[in-house]
Amino acid sequence: MKKLTLLPLFLFLVALIAGCSKSPDAAGSGERQLTIALLPKAKGNAYFISCKEGAEKAAKELGVDLIFDGPTDTDPARQNEIVENWITLGVDAIAAACENKEGISTALRKAQARGIKVITYDADAMPDARAFFVNQATPEGIGYKLMDEAARVTGEEGEFAIITASLTAANQREWQKHIEARLAEKYPKMKLVAVRPCDDLKDKAQTEATALMSANPNLKLIMAIASPAVPGAAEAVKQAGKAGQVHVIGLGLPNENRRYVKDGVTDSVILWKTEDLGYLTVQAAAALAQGKLNAGDTSFTAGSLGTFEIKGDNILLGTPFVFNKENIDQFDF
Amino acid sequence: MSAPVKTPQKARGWLRHETVLLVLVAAEWMYFNSVGARFGTLDNTFDILRHSVEIGLLAVAMTPIILTGGIDLSVGSLLGLCAVCFGKLWRDAGVPLPVAVAGTLALGALTGGVNATLITRLKLPPLIVTLGTFSLFRGVAEAITRGVDTFTGFPANFLFWGQERWLGMPAQAPVFIVVVVAMWLLVHRMTFGRTVRAIGFSAEGARYAGVPVERRVAMAYVLAGVIAALAAIIYTARLGQAKADAGTGYELFAITAVVLGGTSIFGGRGSVHGTLIGVAAIAVLNNGLVHARLPREAAGVLTGGLLVLALASGVLPKLWSDWRARRAVVAAAEKTVS
Repeated sequence: MKKLTLLPLFLFLVALIAGCSKSPDAAGSGERQLTIALLPKAKGNAYFISCKEGAEKAAKELGVDLIFDGPTDTDPARQNEIVENWITLGVDAIAAACENKEGISTALRKAQARGIKVITYDADAMPDARAFFVNQATPEGIGYKLMDEAARVTGEEGEFAIITASLTAANQREWQKHIEARLAEKYPKMKLVAVRPCDDLKDKAQTEATALMSANPNLKLIMAIASPAVPGAAEAVKQAGKAGQVHVIGLGLPNENRRYVKDGVTDSVILWKTEDLGYLTVQAAAALAQGKLNAGDTSFTAGSLGTFEIKGDNILLGTPFVFNKENIDQFDF
Repeated sequence: MSAPVKTPQKARGWLRHETVLLVLVAAEWMYFNSVGARFGTLDNTFDILRHSVEIGLLAVAMTPIILTGGIDLSVGSLLGLCAVCFGKLWRDAGVPLPVAVAGTLALGALTGGVNATLITRLKLPPLIVTLGTFSLFRGVAEAITRGVDTFTGFPANFLFWGQERWLGMPAQAPVFIVVVVAMWLLVHRMTFGRTVRAIGFSAEGARYAGVPVERRVAMAYVLAGVIAALAAIIYTARLGQAKADAGTGYELFAITAVVLGGTSIFGGRGSVHGTLIGVAAIAVLNNGLVHARLPREAAGVLTGGLLVLALASGVLPKLWSDWRARRAVVAAAEKTVS
C-alpha cells in the first residue's frame, strides 16, 4: 500500500523535474510573430467584448497573435496573476485596462523590467508602469460634448438637471467641471437647476429623476452622467408620460438604452466607439513592440483608422461619438 | 474481530483519495507541460507557488475547522479587513511596519475570537455566524476606506515579501512552508488534531470522553483569524496595495481546496496534506489554462469537474465492493435455488 502511494508522488516529481529542466528558449520558433496580450477589466463585459472585436481586426491586419484574457470572477488580484502568467509566457506586448491602478502597476512594472512593452487603455495604471495610455476620451471632450448635445436638443434654452454617480466620484466631478465651463462660456439661456447622485443604481436614478421632474416643473432635460442613470432617467420620464417634453441624454452603452432611444424617450447616448478603442490599442501595442512608436512622438497612424494625436504619453482616441435613433442599430455593445 | 480489520480498510480508503488526487494533479501537470511551451519552467512553477500562497494559507487554516464539522465563510472578508487595517496602521497611524504586522496579526486573532465566541458561547451554527461576519468584516473594511481609499506606496523592503525572491524561491514561500508544517504537526501529531477529529465525528461523544470541546473549537477559529491576517499581509506585499475588496471570494476557493483534498465537509476525516494537494490542483489548473491558451472560463467548469471526480473516486470503490458482495449473495442464493 505504501508503495502505491509513493508511485504517483514519484511520477509527479519526475514530471516536475523533467518540466523544470526544459529550457525556456527551446520554445522559440523560427519566424518572429508578435504576441500581444489584451487585458480587459472583466472578460464577460459587453463593453470589452466590443473592444475585442476591434482588437481582432487590428491583429488580423498586422498579422500578430492576439491573446484576450481577463478576470471572470470578482478577485481583484486576478489581473495581476494573468499579467504575471503572460510575463512567464513571454509575450511581446501587454495592453491593460486597469481595475486597480496601484495594484496592477506592480505587475506591469515587472513586465517592463523583463523587456515587455506595456500600454494601457480605457483605465490607466501609474504613469511609470506603462509607456502610453490610449485615452478614449478626455474629461474636456466628454464634458463639452454632453453640454453641446444638451443645447442642441433643447434649442439652447431652458432648465436642465444632472444625475451623477455620487457627489464625490472623481470621474464625474471632472466631467461636471467641464460641463459647467462649457455652459458658462456658450449657453447663457440655459440653467443647471440641480445635481443629484444615484449611487450607480438604476432604481435610484429613476427615483431621483421622478423627484427632479416634480420639483422643477419647467425642467426641459435630464443629463445622466453615470451609465446606469441613463436608462433609469428614461424609465422615469416614460412612466411620467413626459417623453418629448423632458429630454434625456447621457453617457452610456447603446444596448442599455436602445429601447428608449428607439421609443424617442432618450434623445441620444454619448460614448466612444469601443471597437475603435480596441483597434487603436492593438495597433499602438504592436508599433511599440516593433519600435515604430516611441516616447515623445506627437502623432500615431493606426492602419485604416488614420492618424491620432498624442498628448504627452496619452494617445487620444478623439471626440466622443453620439448614438441616436438613426445610427444606434449599427452598434451592438 | 471485525473492528481491527475495519480500521486499516478505512485508512486505505483515505490514502486512496489523496493518491487519486495526486495522480490527477500529476496528469494535469503533464498535460499542461506538453501543451504550454513555458508551463514547466522553474519560473512558472514559482509563479504558481506565489499565486497560491494566500488561498493556500486560508485553506490550511480552514482544514481543522472543517474537521470539527464547522465552516468559516468569513476568512476572505477577514483578509480584506486585515489588509485595510494594516494599511491604516502603517500610513495613517504612522506605526513602523513590524509593529503594523504584529497589530494586524493581533486583529486577526481578535476577529477570529469573535467568530469563536459566537459559535462556542452562544451555541450558534458556524455557517450562520460566519455568514454574518462575512458581511460584517467586509462592511467594516469598506466603511474604514469608504470603499475608495487605497493604501499604496509601501517601502521596497516590505514589498520584497510578496514580489521578490529569497534563496531562489518566492519570498513568501518560506512563510507558507512554516505555517503548513506547523499546522500539519498540530493536526497530525498532536492531541489538538485528534480532538478536533473526535469533535467532528461526535461533539457529544468527545465531551463525554473529557475533551474540552469549546476550547478546541475556539482555538481553530482564532487560528484561522491569525492565518487570514498573515495572508492579508502577504497579499498586500504581493499586490503593493491594500483595498477593501482584497480577498473577495477567497473563502470559497479555500473551502473547495479543503474538500477537494479529501476532508469530509461533515467533519472528522481529512488531512492537511490533502488540502495542500487540493490547493495545488486548483492553482495548476488556473495557471495551466493561460499557458495552454485555453479560455479562463474553463477553470470553473474544470475545478467543479475535478471536485466531483475526486469525491466520486472516494465513494465508487465502496459502491463497487458493495455491489459485488450483493451479487455474490444473489449468485449463492440462485445456486441454492437451482
